[in-house]
Amino acid sequence: MDIRAIQAYAWFALTIFAVVMLYGYIVHLYRSEKKGTRDYEKYGKLALDDEITSKPIEENPSHKPKNEE
Amino acid sequence: MFHWLEKNPFFFAVGVFVVIAFAGLIEILPNFAEASRPVVGLKPYTVLELAGKEVYKKDNCIACHSQLIRPFKSETDRYGQYSLSGEYAYDRPFLWGSKRTGPDLHRVGNYRTSDWHANHMWDPKSVVPQSIMPAYKHQFTNIADIDTAYAEALTVKKVFATPYDAPNGTKLGTLDEGRAAALAEAKVIAADMKNKDVEALVAKGEIPEVVAIIAYMNRLK
Amino acid sequence: MQSNAALEYDYSVVKLFTYTTILFGILGMLVGTLIASQLAFPELNYLIGEYGTFSRLRPIHTDVVVYGFLLSGIWATFYYISQRVLKVSMAESKFIMTIAKIHFWLYFVGALLAVISLLLGYTTSKEYAEFEWPIDIVVVLIWVLWGVAMFALIGMRREKSLYISMWYYIACFLGVAMLYLFNNMEVPTYFASGGIGSIMHSVSMYSGTNDALVQWWFGHNAVAFIFTVGIIAQIYYFLPKESGQAIYSYKLSLLSFWGLMFVYLWAGSHHLLWSTVPDWMQTMGSVFSVVLILPSWGSAINMLLTMKGEWNQLTENPLIKLMVLASTFYMLSTIEGPIQAIKSVNAIAHFTDWIPGHVHDGVLGWVVFMTMAALFHMAPRIFKREIYSKKLIETQFWLQITAIVLYFTSMWIAGITQGMMWRAVDEYGNLMYSFIDTVDVLHPYYVIRALAGLMYFTGFVMFAYNMYKTITSSRVITEELTNKTPMAA
Repeated sequence: MDIRAIQAYAWFALTIFAVVMLYGYIVHLYRSEKKGTRDYEKYGKLALDDEITSKPIEENPSHKPKNEE
Repeated sequence: MFHWLEKNPFFFAVGVFVVIAFAGLIEILPNFAEASRPVVGLKPYTVLELAGKEVYKKDNCIACHSQLIRPFKSETDRYGQYSLSGEYAYDRPFLWGSKRTGPDLHRVGNYRTSDWHANHMWDPKSVVPQSIMPAYKHQFTNIADIDTAYAEALTVKKVFATPYDAPNGTKLGTLDEGRAAALAEAKVIAADMKNKDVEALVAKGEIPEVVAIIAYMNRLK
Repeated sequence: MQSNAALEYDYSVVKLFTYTTILFGILGMLVGTLIASQLAFPELNYLIGEYGTFSRLRPIHTDVVVYGFLLSGIWATFYYISQRVLKVSMAESKFIMTIAKIHFWLYFVGALLAVISLLLGYTTSKEYAEFEWPIDIVVVLIWVLWGVAMFALIGMRREKSLYISMWYYIACFLGVAMLYLFNNMEVPTYFASGGIGSIMHSVSMYSGTNDALVQWWFGHNAVAFIFTVGIIAQIYYFLPKESGQAIYSYKLSLLSFWGLMFVYLWAGSHHLLWSTVPDWMQTMGSVFSVVLILPSWGSAINMLLTMKGEWNQLTENPLIKLMVLASTFYMLSTIEGPIQAIKSVNAIAHFTDWIPGHVHDGVLGWVVFMTMAALFHMAPRIFKREIYSKKLIETQFWLQITAIVLYFTSMWIAGITQGMMWRAVDEYGNLMYSFIDTVDVLHPYYVIRALAGLMYFTGFVMFAYNMYKTITSSRVITEELTNKTPMAA
């Protein structure tokens, strides 16, 4: 098998893989929101509520602010 | 599953990188060996031609001129045979350009003379009255950088095994030989240009940029 | 160790980058207007001797606008947005502050050196990658500094989840890094030849067709990762913030992001249709360019839907107007691009003025409008003064819109006219026009375009003046700012 054929197969396999992934992803996103296991849209608020004093939507556990030392 | 990525910047970055690097791997890498094979009979540029290519780059001719004849009848009628990949094998960088404010130059050596170029570079309107190209008068006084051109030839010979000094090929030799060969070539062109000042400069051993760029354009065939 | 004063976001680096955005914007657009005029009136080529020809100035226009104006804008907004969405202040870390300051100053000095080197004719002649190797090394350093600052800031974030804008900044960082490195692989001839000739000179590692492939893989995508990715990062933050509306669909933004990342890189070879690169690669470039409409429109539609039920803001708030118009032009240019990538269209369009026309409806309409809106939004928040004049924004808006329309319509007509004339044959199959005929016919369009450039530039000067007055002498703000940016009539 020459390089061209390998390229062609790789490209084809990749496209199929990417399409399956993408559609799987879409289904996954919408289904998990419908079932209530996740709420994605709450992250949209990140841009609106962005003062340094406002409460994070999810605390980053590894955050160690200096002024609390 | 994916939601996890947005909370883990490191893996997020890795994910992005893999996705964007993929296209390059598949598209570009595999063709490298094939696309760099020269056409039969292609000779590396002489030192003077390389110096001319430097002038072409310095004054950024690619802003308005392409060097790529596409396989259409209208283009082959106008410019000559369509371009082949192997013709560019010694072009580092490629100079295809992306805009034709002026005409294609890939085979300009077939239908323009040194004399014509000399007039055209001095004052484009003298040969093409409606031309909007600027005059490049400074090329008649700026001296071409032959040493750097030699350095480039030596570099591609050493690093990329460009076949200089092969039988029936382009001779490179030592730096002094390179300078002498460039000057000899320049004298022929200067004589063709019918420009006294240029001839006087070349007789003194100094090669103006315009001579070098004409050498380069005459080579484009 | 910290004092008792309340912790605040630190905008000192944002301010620095804001200044350079305006400075390089004026410089880049001034040169752009000049070279557009040179095509209409060639006498203008001789203003500053050999340094003033169209060919020498053209890369200065493109590079100053892309790497001066846009990158400054991207970094100004980056240091602003990232602090806010990560909920962490740069003042909390001396390390980040230092890195960011070095980042700025090295960038500023590097940019000036780059402009000077191009004027002097030190160039690799690869479009948008013209810088010779010493400048390339500075560019890499600048980029690394940005990366360090970005990931250090992310590392100490309070908010666990990264907001959409941050994804795009990360992608911009990684994409440009990869593309720039590979495209600028070059061998300095001075060292390889043992000390002969100029130290500035280098040869590309790739030759001919390979060089072309790598160059347009870079050219298409580096521009994309700045013009598209870096600007989308801004609109995903500023439009919701300014309008007070959360983004319409977070899920859609996820899909468009990964879609864009995957598809974009494949489309580069559409710059090389009908050239000597292999056919299958050209076809792939064509196909993926068309697929690219999906993720691009995904983002744009998400923006427009964010304004759902709030369209009255369009008339009340000029910044919303700027941003909505920006996303509309984004839609226009992302459908125009794929059309030009269709092989039969490309056969006519390539090498003509339609291509600069396409680029400019994207950049003038989408990129510059978004950047100006971002700066207007940030100004009252970083300088604590209200915007100097709303009226000026309105005037500038209409002036620039007219300019954009004149620009792209004239270039569309010019491009298609020239493309058709090149291939026109008479009844015997001979070419009908000599090349110079096809140049001559473009004169009126070049005049219109030069005029459009002048109008747009004037609008940008108005923007700069408005910013200047805002920074120096506008009313000081004491109240807390929420969404709508305060501005004096």
